[in-house]
Amino acid sequence: MLQVEHLYKTYPNGTQALKDVSFEVKDGEFLAVIGLSGSGKSTLLRCINRLIEPTSGRIVWNDIDITATPASEMRKVRRQIGMIFQQFNLVKRSSVLTNVLSGRLGYVSPWQSLVNYFSAADKQRALANLEQVGLSEKAYVRADSLSGGQQQRVGIARALMQEPKLILADEPVASLDPVLAHSILKYLEQLNKERGITVLCSLHFLDLVHRYATKAIALKDGQLVFQGLPKEIDDAQFKAIYGQEAERVSIV
Amino acid sequence: MESSATLPVQTKNASLAALLSLVVPGAGQIYADKLWRGITILVSAVVLAFLTNWGLDNGHIGEIELGGFTTSWLWFPLLLFVLWNVVDAHRVVGGESSPTWIGLVLAAIVLYYLAWNVTDIRPQRLITGFQDLHGILTELVHPDLITTDPATGATIPSDNFGDIFGRLVDTPAPGWMVSLGLAAPAQMIPTYKPGTLLETIAIGLLATLFSTIFAIPVSFFAAHNIMSRVPGGSIVYYIARTVLNVVRAVDPLIWGLIVIVWVGLGSFTGIIALTIHSVAALGKLYSEEIEHIDMGPVEAVTATGANLVQTIRYAVIPQIVPPFLAYTLLRWDINMRTATVVGFVGGGGIGFFVLQTIQKGLYNQYAAALWAVAVVIIIVDYISGTLSERIRKGETRIEETKPQPFYRSPRKLLLLALGLAGFYYCAYITKIDLRMLFEPAPTFANVVKAFITIDTEPIILNAVVKQMIITVFQALLATTLGALVAIPFSFLAARNLTGRSQLSIWIYYLARSLFDVLRSIEALLYVAIFVFWVGIGAFAGTLALAITSFALIGKLYADQIENIDMGPMEAITATGATRLQAIMYAILPQIVPPFVSYTIYQWDINVRMATIIGFAGGGGIGLLLNTYFGQLQYHRAGTIVAIIVIVVAAMDFASAKIREQMV
Repeated sequence: MLQVEHLYKTYPNGTQALKDVSFEVKDGEFLAVIGLSGSGKSTLLRCINRLIEPTSGRIVWNDIDITATPASEMRKVRRQIGMIFQQFNLVKRSSVLTNVLSGRLGYVSPWQSLVNYFSAADKQRALANLEQVGLSEKAYVRADSLSGGQQQRVGIARALMQEPKLILADEPVASLDPVLAHSILKYLEQLNKERGITVLCSLHFLDLVHRYATKAIALKDGQLVFQGLPKEIDDAQFKAIYGQEAERVSIV
Repeated sequence: MESSATLPVQTKNASLAALLSLVVPGAGQIYADKLWRGITILVSAVVLAFLTNWGLDNGHIGEIELGGFTTSWLWFPLLLFVLWNVVDAHRVVGGESSPTWIGLVLAAIVLYYLAWNVTDIRPQRLITGFQDLHGILTELVHPDLITTDPATGATIPSDNFGDIFGRLVDTPAPGWMVSLGLAAPAQMIPTYKPGTLLETIAIGLLATLFSTIFAIPVSFFAAHNIMSRVPGGSIVYYIARTVLNVVRAVDPLIWGLIVIVWVGLGSFTGIIALTIHSVAALGKLYSEEIEHIDMGPVEAVTATGANLVQTIRYAVIPQIVPPFLAYTLLRWDINMRTATVVGFVGGGGIGFFVLQTIQKGLYNQYAAALWAVAVVIIIVDYISGTLSERIRKGETRIEETKPQPFYRSPRKLLLLALGLAGFYYCAYITKIDLRMLFEPAPTFANVVKAFITIDTEPIILNAVVKQMIITVFQALLATTLGALVAIPFSFLAARNLTGRSQLSIWIYYLARSLFDVLRSIEALLYVAIFVFWVGIGAFAGTLALAITSFALIGKLYADQIENIDMGPMEAITATGATRLQAIMYAILPQIVPPFVSYTIYQWDINVRMATIIGFAGGGGIGLLLNTYFGQLQYHRAGTIVAIIVIVVAAMDFASAKIREQMV
């Protein structure tokens, strides 16, 4: 169970990205985070693994108080939380395999990884994860020679190397076309259902939320304005989240 | 400059702005929120007023009698400059501004008049000395490379050829050949004895290797995005950046003068001097590259729980290796060029040889050395340019299969062995002796102490400031002259404009070769020709700098022209415009800003080059510096180096700021 309590984040330039955000996610849920660009979705996800330091509030995950964990211990927390990014964030000039293996860094000794040493077991695991996302034949090519959809699958394989119990996905399909969007979300759904990994995923399109999420929260100007089941987002709710001018658009 | 099309701000008072600018030039512009315009005007006014006053006091420059009162006529354009600034201040409040070119022309009148007089430009000497030039040009096309064997009458390489390229000398067989049974003890066998050219190449290679090794760790300390993640890192960052800027401002040859006191004359000194300067130059470029990496992977790797060391290893290093390699290759090119002149101060290589030929007046030997340098540098320039371009474009091999470790690949093993053998050979011929680093001359500590107790006696300070002003003006005139001549040539050297006819292809190759050949020889090596032509002094140095500026600027201009978008050219040609009209309206607007940017950059480079041009008789601060070093007056040499650091660093900063605004 992930509990977020009264979370605030104010950036040094004075922007209030999160204001008093509280919610809970049960293990095994697929939580969609919706809201306009700039509503605080990315900040919220990054506060959970403390890539961004929250200003105040508490985040507790399975009895670990993430917000109280000292920086030196964050390594142990982060390695259990996978993360997937809108821009994939692969090292473009490194091989696909090295990118996937880098997901294991939280477990191996820094001095061994300095000379690019990974155990045979880790390499096996990396190849198996690449097979899971259908890219085993691309292991030794450079990451930037792959298409966008393939790069995001490498991103998923990298997260799987952490053997995560929780995956944070920050607009994982916003840079992809609709067909690829479904294929990526199906991988996440599969991990959610088969391995019971909790997924927190920010999304733009409501029909993707309806199709994949088991629960949804919505942010507007850094405040939580909705919390419930995806099917509860009706027209009134929609206008409250996206503004009066907004119209529903759909994706294939 | 920031755009003026903003909200109609009427809160600022135009008259107040004008008044402010009358009292302190630029103040009104700053008041009207045009910070950079104001600072530029203020600095220009202060510098020009100082120079005008200085010129009057020190050389009666522009002196006129006015009602029994001695003054300089340069105060009039300056007065107009201030008036222009007042009008400008009045108008910027309303969102307009005075035409910038008026201010520029007024400032230029003052600047160039002073520069012309200070650097002792005497165009008539170009004519009166023409007979001498003819003599030296004849020698230049008859380099001393071959001779006739007096015994057989056959054509053989001359002695001078051997000095440059090396020769076979009979030496006793080395121990390993004897023990392998290949030679009898004390048997004389012909051995290759390297010439000064190979020594030069070795100096350039080793300096590049060493500076790369040292610059990599240094660059991480000077990268803001890395250091801000470490507690206390910001202080380290500022210290590292400052040290890099100071070290970089001092030319490798000046470092050479200092290092000689430490380890003595020879190639090893040249390597150390080049390395010191290159570490700073590379360190700056490397650290900027680190600061511009894609932070996405850094975030992703941090999110997996990796620590700082792992994040650098997996998210930073893979991104920076290719640009680092490209910069190292370009630095190799620069180091090879500097290695050809580091001998002027006793740092080994072909520079020392050239200095001797000049002193002996043997210009056909000098010519041979110049041609040898040109060939080597053109090859180096080609290799480094092509390779770094390929690395930048990412055309490196992509292996689709599992890569083999290097010890299983015969090709990589062979390359490694060749590299090690090459390194050993280079270290051997440049007589690298690391023990010398730790056994400095007994006086070295005192020298360093004297060096940092800068002499601030007014007489010395005045002399140094005078020479520094001459140096900066030499650089200004050389850049201007080089740029003016380069403009027409650069159009001839741009493939997209020269057309397709047989003649224009010839012209293209001729213009490009002219740039490449002239560019391959350092300004310091040219000085001898101009000293011969127009006499020793600042004029000769200025002309030497102008030649290299012409070639460098010309190449950059031509490359820029080749990169322009030809769409507008097509459109304007389609309207029925002539070729010249089309160039005026479609090409010039695309190339003027980058041209100005390159020219300012070249001035910046030339100031540093001009600080050493005096080592070969080209005037400026170098002569004074060499004198102080020769007389062991290290505290005065320290004064000069301090002034050089201040001026070069200030020029570097100003030129970077201006170029930033232009792009």
